[in-house]
Amino acid sequence: MSLLYPLLLSSALFGIGVYGVLARRNAVLVLLGVELMLNSVTLNLVAFDAWFADALHTGQVLTLFTIALAAAEIGLGLAIVLALFRAVRTVDVDEVGR
Amino acid sequence: MSRRWGYVGLTAVLAVVVAVWAVPEVMRHGYFGRYVGASRPGVDPPLPSLSPDLFLFPQAAQIVLLAVGVGLLVQIYSTAYLGRHPRYRSYALVIVLFLLGMIAVVGTTNLWVLLVGWEVMGLCSYLLIGHEWETAPARTGAAKAFLVTRVADLGLVMAIIVIGETYGTYDIVGAQVAQADGTRHATLIGLLVLVAVIGKSAQFPLHTWLPDAMPGPTPITALIHAATMVAAGVYLASRLFFLYADSQLVLTLMAGGAAVTMLMGALFALTSSDLKRALAWSTVSQLALMLAAVAAGGAEAGLDHLVSHGVFKALLFLGCGCVMLAVGSSALSAMGGLRRSMPVTFWTMTIGFAALAGLVPTAGFFTKDSVLHAIEVATDGDHGLAPGVARALLVVALVTTFVTAAYATRLWVLTFLGPVGADRADRADHEVREQPPAMTGPLVVLAVATFALSVGQPLHLGTGLLSTAVAGAGVATVLLLARRGSALDRSPAPLTSELWLDRPFSRWVPAAAAPLARGVVDLDRDAVDVYPRGGAALVAVVSRGLGLAQTRNVQRYATVLAVGVVVIVVVGVVLR
Repeated sequence: MSLLYPLLLSSALFGIGVYGVLARRNAVLVLLGVELMLNSVTLNLVAFDAWFADALHTGQVLTLFTIALAAAEIGLGLAIVLALFRAVRTVDVDEVGR
Repeated sequence: MSRRWGYVGLTAVLAVVVAVWAVPEVMRHGYFGRYVGASRPGVDPPLPSLSPDLFLFPQAAQIVLLAVGVGLLVQIYSTAYLGRHPRYRSYALVIVLFLLGMIAVVGTTNLWVLLVGWEVMGLCSYLLIGHEWETAPARTGAAKAFLVTRVADLGLVMAIIVIGETYGTYDIVGAQVAQADGTRHATLIGLLVLVAVIGKSAQFPLHTWLPDAMPGPTPITALIHAATMVAAGVYLASRLFFLYADSQLVLTLMAGGAAVTMLMGALFALTSSDLKRALAWSTVSQLALMLAAVAAGGAEAGLDHLVSHGVFKALLFLGCGCVMLAVGSSALSAMGGLRRSMPVTFWTMTIGFAALAGLVPTAGFFTKDSVLHAIEVATDGDHGLAPGVARALLVVALVTTFVTAAYATRLWVLTFLGPVGADRADRADHEVREQPPAMTGPLVVLAVATFALSVGQPLHLGTGLLSTAVAGAGVATVLLLARRGSALDRSPAPLTSELWLDRPFSRWVPAAAAPLARGVVDLDRDAVDVYPRGGAALVAVVSRGLGLAQTRNVQRYATVLAVGVVVIVVVGVVLR
């Protein structure tokens, strides 16, 4: 399989993620953007792992780590957003910053 | 209380250090051959240096001991006189700085160090005269003293530069060595030194700052007028005498100025209605006497008189402070009849007045005798001064001796004897009493010193008898007038207003300087300040522009960051 397709998909995901982080006002969606970027990177890892046919499959192992970390990270992030919402009754990042 | 004595302790430490250094030097006379320093004269003047080059010339040891001694007594005196003043700390510390300045002037051979000490004293006298700056006379008096002595500073700086250019050294001993091959530019150097001396030692026509320095605290007056500030001028004149001893013009000018000043000061002292101001004029007159001795070639006699005058004038000023504190005024009309209520002050000041009048056996008599003798010796014409000038100077000095004895007696009678003055109605007599021992103690010490200093002084019988007769006549005249009941506090208007000699300084100079100062202010505001103001405005514009980027919006910052990364990647990777 050509390396091009997974890389294109990964770039698209990353771009959407960046857009979400920079442009979205809703804190949950900002977190979602971060998650998208993270996953585009994991996709890269898997793609290159397959491409290099690495005997130890370092890329796939690292991907598993990243997924575990991402789960923890999103749990923490959503907890913060929840606490924020309880405190100021909004999840709009502009409103919160004011 | 203890804090105030801490400053006394500090001064005492300084005095002890100076004493250890200077006492062994007092009796020494020659100094060639025991000094090797930066004195080797070169062809070109060396770079000005501030190496201390500590060295005591003959007689300088006495002056520096006098300075720290009087300074210590003034500190002790001030604990009682000014102890409750809120700014006592700065006052006491500036006195110490003042003494350091005097030590720098007297205890060095490096002319630049001398200049630094000279300037430090000018600054300190400004600060101390203006110590009570809440009052207008203190402010104006301090500013006047500072500005007039600045003229003197200018003369000294120019003199130092000319000496350096002429003899290739900024060292007094070095100049002396170089001058052995023949003096050069004697008149120029002499005139510049004369400007310095006239300003610093308050000689005609720059004499008016000294009486106007009277609003300063009285202990300070004693310090400035006795041992330090004005003494520096006379010291400089005699120390650099060898550089201009050949110049007939300088010596004649010096003698003429001294003659005018000594008589004028004595007459003003005779007619003053204020005890402290009278003593200030007396200082002007006595300094002129010392300079007369220097001009006549008797620099040693002048310095001897400087030391003895320092002692008895400090005594008189400190006593004057006691009296002022007791009656609440320095006007003679508020005094009188203090003999019984202030016995210590009375007896010590009597000794001081006797020394001022030049009566045997006080130190004042012997040193004044030396001065007169030096002038008399100069009448033979072998000492630089023309015989005619020297003779005229001798006559004026004798007349001054008469007037001096007269005003000393007048002040003594009006202060301590005589009826109670009219202006003391607000204080009952029982309130007027002797001052505490911290104030009378220094008086006693100085009174003893007034006698002690006459030990070992040379006596010249001819001039001694003559001056005693003249001074006795002065004393007797005033005593007779007082006995006959004539009022001693009445005098002609030109003399009480001091011949309007202050008018150039109080009216004309300010009138001429004001437009100039205004012009400088305009220039400064319109031409010089443009650059700092313009720079500030530029920075303000730039910072306002940069401030637009600071939106407090984190996402916008992140956007800038992301765009930056893209740009870097494009430039660094793709376009490479």
